[in-house]
This record gives sequence, C-alpha cells and structure tokens, in this order.
Amino acid sequence: MSDYKKTIGIEVHVELKTKEKLFSPSLNLYGNLANSNCNIIDLGYPGVLPVLNYEAVALAIRAATVLNCKIRKKQHFDRKNYFYPDNPKNFQITEERTPIGYDGYVEIDDDGEKKKIEILEMHIEEDTCKSIHSKERTLLDFNRAGVPLVEIVTKPCIHTSREATLYLEKLRELLLYANVSDCKIEEGSMRCDANISISKNDELGTKVEVKNIGSITNVGLAIDYEAKRQEELLSQGETLREETRRYDAKADKTILMRVKETGNDYRYFPEPDIPYVILTDEEIKKVQSEIPVLAHVRRKRYLDSGISLLNANKLIANKELSDYLEKVDTNLKTASNLLLGDISAYLNKKNMSIFDSKLTYDKFKDLVLKLDDGVISNKNFKDIVSDIMERDIDIDSLLKEKGIENVVDNDVVLKLINKVLTDNPKVVTDYLEGNERSLKFLMGQVMKESRGSVNPKLANDLLIKTLDERK
Amino acid sequence: MSNYLDLSINEIHELLVKGKIKPIDLVEESFKKIDNNKLNAFITLDLEGARKRAIELGEMEVPQDNLLFGLPIAIKDNIMVDGLRCTCASHMLENFISIYDASVIELIKNAGMIIIGKTNMDEFAMGSTSETSYFKAPINPWNKDKVPGGSSGGSAVSVAAGYTPFALGSDTGGSIRQPASFNGIVGMKPTYGRVSRFGLVAFASSLDQIGPMTRTVYENALLLNLISKKDLKDMTSFETDEDFTRLIGKDIKDMKIAIPNYFVSDVVEKEVLEVFENVVDTLKKAGCKVELVDVKHIDKAPILYQIIAMGEASSNLARFDGIRYGLSLKEDTLEDLYKKTRSEGFGREVKRRIMVGSFILSGENAKIYYNKALEIRDDLKKSFDKIFSSYDLVIGPTSSRPAYDVGLNNDDPLRSFMDDILVMHANMGGFPAISVPMGMITELPIGMQIMGKGMDEAKIYQLAAYIEKELGGKHE
Repeated sequence: MSDYKKTIGIEVHVELKTKEKLFSPSLNLYGNLANSNCNIIDLGYPGVLPVLNYEAVALAIRAATVLNCKIRKKQHFDRKNYFYPDNPKNFQITEERTPIGYDGYVEIDDDGEKKKIEILEMHIEEDTCKSIHSKERTLLDFNRAGVPLVEIVTKPCIHTSREATLYLEKLRELLLYANVSDCKIEEGSMRCDANISISKNDELGTKVEVKNIGSITNVGLAIDYEAKRQEELLSQGETLREETRRYDAKADKTILMRVKETGNDYRYFPEPDIPYVILTDEEIKKVQSEIPVLAHVRRKRYLDSGISLLNANKLIANKELSDYLEKVDTNLKTASNLLLGDISAYLNKKNMSIFDSKLTYDKFKDLVLKLDDGVISNKNFKDIVSDIMERDIDIDSLLKEKGIENVVDNDVVLKLINKVLTDNPKVVTDYLEGNERSLKFLMGQVMKESRGSVNPKLANDLLIKTLDERK
Repeated sequence: MSNYLDLSINEIHELLVKGKIKPIDLVEESFKKIDNNKLNAFITLDLEGARKRAIELGEMEVPQDNLLFGLPIAIKDNIMVDGLRCTCASHMLENFISIYDASVIELIKNAGMIIIGKTNMDEFAMGSTSETSYFKAPINPWNKDKVPGGSSGGSAVSVAAGYTPFALGSDTGGSIRQPASFNGIVGMKPTYGRVSRFGLVAFASSLDQIGPMTRTVYENALLLNLISKKDLKDMTSFETDEDFTRLIGKDIKDMKIAIPNYFVSDVVEKEVLEVFENVVDTLKKAGCKVELVDVKHIDKAPILYQIIAMGEASSNLARFDGIRYGLSLKEDTLEDLYKKTRSEGFGREVKRRIMVGSFILSGENAKIYYNKALEIRDDLKKSFDKIFSSYDLVIGPTSSRPAYDVGLNNDDPLRSFMDDILVMHANMGGFPAISVPMGMITELPIGMQIMGKGMDEAKIYQLAAYIEKELGGKHE
C-alpha cells in the first residue's frame, strides 16, 4: 500500500444539444460534411457580433439543476484571449467570472457507500474548431466552432480512480437523462480531463493535467498510471513540474504534451457585445419543470417490476432502449429480457438504432404478450428476430409465413400427450402417487415429441387435466 | 457641370419626383466632383455598382414620402458593403472584399440610397487626423495644408466638399464629431445601441457607434431616422421608432443648458472660446437658461479611453491573423505566420494600441487598470446623469482647436488623444452628441458639441437646428 494519497479534480466539457450554435444561427449537428454548418459569425469575420442562444442557457440551467448547483441569476460573458488557429476570433467567449452554476454535487454509490463529489462550478462557453492534423498541414472544420458547451469542474475531492469513474458514469447518466447532451465521448460531445496530484500529507502535490481521455474506463486507468508515474519519480528524488499530458490507451501510459508556463495569461475581460443575462425565479422554475424523468426514477420502477439490478443498470446505460421501453405499456420484465437479449444483439450487429427498426411499439407489445402466453417460445423468437426488425409485417402473419405457428388444436395436443403417457407408464404412476416432479419430465417429453411446436401453456394445462382424469 | 448636389434635400427630392432629374444625374455629378478634386476622400469608388443601381432606381416611381430616395451616400471603410472592398484603411485588409452587408447598409439600400464608395479614415479608426491611413491621407477641403480630422476624415471631406450630401461615420471617442467640426459639417454620434453595429469592424465594442454625417441638421435627423432600428443581430441595440426631426424649428425658450467648467477651461484654445462665447450669448438671448456646472471625473475621460478602448481593441483585432482572410504572409511555423502577418499588416499606431491594450489586460494589470477604469467610467456616467436630471442638454466646443497642420501629431501619439478630450464623455456614458458648426476661426470652421441624456437625440437636433439657423450653417 502506497504512502501517497491521490487527489483528483475532474473537468468535463459537455456539448449542449441545442438546435443552433451558442452565438450564431448555424446548425449544431455532428457528422456533417466539414465546414457545411458554419457562417461568418463562426468564422470570426470582421464586423460580426455574437447573439446569445437562450436555448443553451436553458439547457445549462437543467444541467446545473441535476448537478445540485446553485444557479447564478446575473451573469456576464468574458473573453478569453489566446491565439490558436482553432479559435477563429482568437478569443473564446466563456463565463470566467460568473459561472451559471456553482457549489453543486453529484452523489455516487460505491457498493452501497455513498459519497458526494463536489462541483466547484459549471459555466457556459463556445467550442473551438476541430483541427485535423495531417503530415504536411492542418485542416480546420468550423462545424464545431461555436457549438455550446458547459464545462463542469469538480473540487479536488476525488481520491481513487474508482471514485472518478463512478462520478463520470453518474454525471453522464444525469446529463443524458435531463436531455442536456448526447454525452458521446467517442464523438467528442463529452470530453474528460483529470488533474492528478499525489501527496503524503494534507498539502496538495504538484498537479498534472491529463487531457481528453477517450473513455470513462480510460480515465480510471490514466489516473492509476499517472499516480504511479508520479510516485516513482518522487521516490527517485525528482521534483514534479506542472504539465499537460495525454493518455495513450494502447500503451496504457500518459505522454507529455507540454509543460505549463507559469501565469498563463488569457487577458480576461467582460464581453462587451453581450449584455448581462438576468434570470428570474419564474424563468428558472419553468426550465426546471421541463426536466424529463431522471434515471433513478426509471431504475426504481425497473427494480419494482422484478428486473434484476444488473439488467436495470444495463437498460439505464442504454438510454435509447430505456426511452423505447417508456413508450410501451407492457410486462417490463419480459420486455427488458427481450430488449437486452436478442434485440440488443441484433442492433449492435447492425449498428442501428431501435427507433430506425421496424419494431413498432404495437408489434413489440404483441411480442411480449405472446411470449408471456407461451404462444411463441424464446427459441422461436431467435429465429424470427431479424424479420421482426426489418420487415413491415405483424407477428401473426410472420408466424404463419414461417410455419412456426404453435399448435393450439386440443385434439392434436391430446394425441401427443396420450402417446407420451403410453410410452412412460412408470413416470405416470409416480405422478399419480404424488411425485410432482414427474410432471416436469412428462411436459418435457411432450415438447420434445412436438419439436417445440405446441403452445407450452396449453400443453401443460391439458397434460394436468389428462393425468388428473386418471387419478 | 450640374450642381444639383448643392441644393437642399427638399429641392433635390422635388426635382426627382417631377422627373426633371434622375438618380443617375446625381451619381454622375458626384463622381465628376470627386474626380475634379484630389482630396483622397475615398479608398474605393463603386463606379459600376452605383451607376447600375442609379439606373435601376431611375426606372422606379419616386416615393413621395422618402426624401432619401435616389441620393448618393459615402460609407466609411470600416462598414461592410457586400461585394465591395472593406480595408479599414489598413494593409491588413487591403484586398479584403466583404461578403455581406452591415445591417445599416441593408437599410440604406432598401431606402433607395446609392452607395458611391468607401471613405478614407485612420487605420482601423485609430487616430484623429486620418493620417494613420495606409492609403494617401485625405485633405481638408477648407485648406489643403490642414488635416480633415478623424477617424471619419474621408466621410467628413466627402460631405464638406459636396461629393455626397450624406455619409456614414463611426465614433468611438469623437471620430464623427471632431472631423465634422474640422470640416464645417454636422456629425451625430447617436445613443449607444440606437444604430446596429453588425457589420461595423469593431474597434472598441462598448464605445463604437455608427452615425450620420451631413450638411445640415435636418438632413442629419433624416438619415438617423433611416438607420436607427433594433437589430436582432446586435444584442446591444434597442427598440427605436421615432421621428428625430419632430422638434426641429420648435422654440428653445426656457431650455436648461449646462456648460461643464472643464469644457471652457484652459484645455481649449482662446479663439475657440471666443466663438463659443458668442453661442452662449445667442442662447441666452433666445431665453435659454445657461449655467456653468462641475462634473465629477470629467477630466478622466482621456485616461479611461486609453484603457478601455485599447484593451477592447487588442482583443477585437486579434482575429486578423492571416489564417482565414486578409493579408497572410506564409511562413514555416505558425508563430512566424502570426508575427510576420501582423507586423507588416498593421501600421504603427494600430500596433502601439494593440500592445498597450494587451499590457493593460495582462495578469494583475486587468484589475489595476481595466476594472478600475470600468468603475470610474460608471461614476462618470452617473455624474452626467445627475447633470441631465436638472438640465436638458450639455454644450461645449467640439474640439479644443480648429483643423491644424498636416503632420503635426506625427511624433506625439498623446497629442491626438488631446483632440478628443471634449467628446469622449459621450462614448463613455453612451450618450448621444452632435457637432454642429458654430463659426469660423481664420477661415477654418469650428463646431460646437451638444450632448443629451440617453435617447434624447430629438432635443439635440432641436437646439442644433437653432444654432445652425442663427450662426449660419451651410444651408437654410
């Protein structure tokens, strides 16, 4: 066990899911042709002025609310001045002095032990361009320039990599369910930086920043690697310097990007082109009343309906499936098994959204009903899942077409049952003498005889009835 | 050569309505006059575009109620006109062609005014003689050895020389009013937010304001009627819908007028004070109550201006980096590209101001200088608000001296700030203020300034029109 204590602060940039950019009417969309969503404002042309998009302010209020932050009612924007090609005006508009949210927390649950991760502040700012570096040159994509962000900064109150990952998972869940952001790390709509220092006493050690870590898991790995690296250096008698590093997931190590110069001077001053933003209690309340049902409410309902904790968490983590489930009034337990099982497997294989499939809410409801009633079996479902997802066809017609219509004719089933009873006289006697377990065996034989084609519920009922008649 | 452009706006309008002249006649006259004199008023002339537009307009019926229809106007070269070069009188933007119209230009075009060209100015509006222009500096039409003032020098010359009856300027610390004074014309800096700044290349965003420069007070109010409009593209613009001519000609009796002691102190040359005394007598005779007042912090304006304007400018001009538009001097490294482009693209005065501004915003200086300046600016505004609670208007000379010799300020950057010590307060407080001719000093015109409380332009025009009538402006 190390003598050193880790201290970690985390900064997360989250892109807000607005229709337009923070200061211009260009569309805020990901994945479009480079430089197709930008105008003279995003390009920082001479003479242009920013116009604040209040949808971004509303989403920031949502974010501040779910992060239990206090909300500042009077804010102004500031200019952060620095030269870089991805920064079109060579200043970034941000909220340096009056962040919209402050003094918040996120509660994490570490195997039943609860801890509050404190949020120092949360502010609104504009995103930069995306730089695409090739050998000879750098290309700039202005589609991202001016996309609204919130930056969420924790206090240096995190002490293990596990706390860090739990915090990020919870943060992601909160923002995702408040409909603030997509929070897709792989698309850059959520970006994590960790500030890591180690110390043997209460005084904080030299801080190293690891920037833009590619996944939540990697944040944990980067923290552990970095703490170990720092400890090794200190044990060799070296002094640490403040620096910025990045995490290389393949090599599982952090790599130096630049040494921090002392007193980095951004020449902040209040943005004169944007008047004060004044929020009233009514406005804040109105925005807060529009925050959608949060994850913990859904999770509780899942658990109450008999879904396991594991599956409930899986559903919550896959917001799309959870949203889908919200729309269907059905047996949640069967439905969740379906969604997390064959349907997820299918969607993952096709890299497809359930909302783009042919699985209508009605079709899904019918499926759950038929499974519960035993009209179709799990095995049947596996065979027809791709047809269900891809074709505009109702379940009844599909079953007929596939010839896996389950036998519901009493006479046919009775014939099968009688054959099984005749073939297994010993077991029948056992049952009649009170051995309940024999019933299960006989039922299995009926299903086997029919090659799974009979309605199991019907067969079970008829089997009991036939046996009881022999009593 | 025809001399229609020397007529009053009502006379020209009548000729247009009656079909005796066409917009193209006015445009041709304008170009001919510009060609006849070599005052370097324009950086870019739009011969083709203006003629084409004039012919188009000539085919339309002249709207009876639109006095500005078909009239030529000159635009300061820091305001964007789609398709025309917008140089800001800088090497940095020497070949920059605008791809959009400023919001004021949309209004000008929609009203059927004809843009003749883009006027000369101090580089990025930094200066008060127009001599910091990258191009050949404009010349005062009253005396070729004198500066025309600045930074809207070219616009003032265009109006004073009779090239165009109308021009747009921009005023950050007196850049409309001081050249108006030096050229014997009328120049108004409206209330901050009255006119959209969208499409004006920013110098100091919290001080900049576009305004009209004209031959007469009435024409000035008419042009302000046209260009003042709330603009959704400028968050600092406000709802505005009034007729600024409505008080012109109304009796000024019992008007309460304040003269800050500072405006008539020894910062102003004796000859200027003598002319101003005459104004005061005239007003008293007209039944105005004229009193001297003290205004707290009034002498701090030049210092505040240096700090605030340069701080903001250092940030506003950062976008000229050689990457997306404008001058780009390619070098091996990014830092060298920045250095070379900005070293060669900007002139001395602009670089000086960027450096001072960057220093002022650096580290602790931001607190010591910039934040402190914002506080004092607020106090200064409050001191004026207090004056305006007991007086209708504040008056004084516009400039401490009439137009002076070309080259006089060259070695002393501070001297040019001293030109504007009487006019910067309006920018600091966002107040409207006009310069209107009040007389002559050795064959050079000199203007007086009338400042009102925010939104009080109509009252300013009322008094300015009276001065114009009594002390002889160019037109009736």
